[in-house]
Amino acid sequence: MENFKETNQLRPGLWATVNERYPGAMITKSDFIPLAKLKKPLPESRLTFVSTAGVQPKNSLPFDTVHPVGDYTFRRVPSDSKPSDLEIHQLKYPTAGAKRDLNVIFPIERLQEFAKAKIIGGLTANFFSFIGYNMNAERLEQTLAEEIADAVEAEKPDAALLAPA
Amino acid sequence: MDVTEHIKPPRAVFLPFMMGHHFGVPFHTRLQREIILTALERIERAEESGDVFYFPKIWAQARKEGKEIESRLSANG
Repeated sequence: MENFKETNQLRPGLWATVNERYPGAMITKSDFIPLAKLKKPLPESRLTFVSTAGVQPKNSLPFDTVHPVGDYTFRRVPSDSKPSDLEIHQLKYPTAGAKRDLNVIFPIERLQEFAKAKIIGGLTANFFSFIGYNMNAERLEQTLAEEIADAVEAEKPDAALLAPA
Repeated sequence: MDVTEHIKPPRAVFLPFMMGHHFGVPFHTRLQREIILTALERIERAEESGDVFYFPKIWAQARKEGKEIESRLSANG
């Protein structure tokens, strides 16, 4: 990693203990997936966005934010939505900033501007959102991850921006 | 950073920001753009899987700039 400094580590060693404290909660991954290269330049590439922010269109079924093992569903968010069309259903991260400007966690207006300015070729019709509180890692991998991957693939993006919340 | 490394992403940008603020602070559109552009740049620049880029701005600095922007916005009505 070209610009990493040891002092940048915020919680050294903490993450390694998650599986001890919450058995099975952490996906164990021992390999790196092959790096896929862009097939065309960014200004010609269609971008999608996938977020764990629990952002969803108003009037869609709210995420179950109090279920003890989590909600394993996702929502499609039309990429031409305005922030006022959307709402957040997630309790596990501070939403004070996002409630004043959704772009701090779900930068839909910035991505729309990038598409308009041809910095990117365009946006998929939908973006995707789910909540990051899912305590059964195996279930997450076998259901939500597979389903969201199929849904993303169906929109034929050239690149995907993924963001945690 | 340890979480980012653990998931072994093909490429990632690490932001040392408060949870819920991975694209910056409210109304700081320049910072929000810069963060996305940095991520898009990694798509083209990363040479091997596992590339994690450390975004060169600390939370305190982002927050301070955000406060200045918000006070300008409120002064302008």
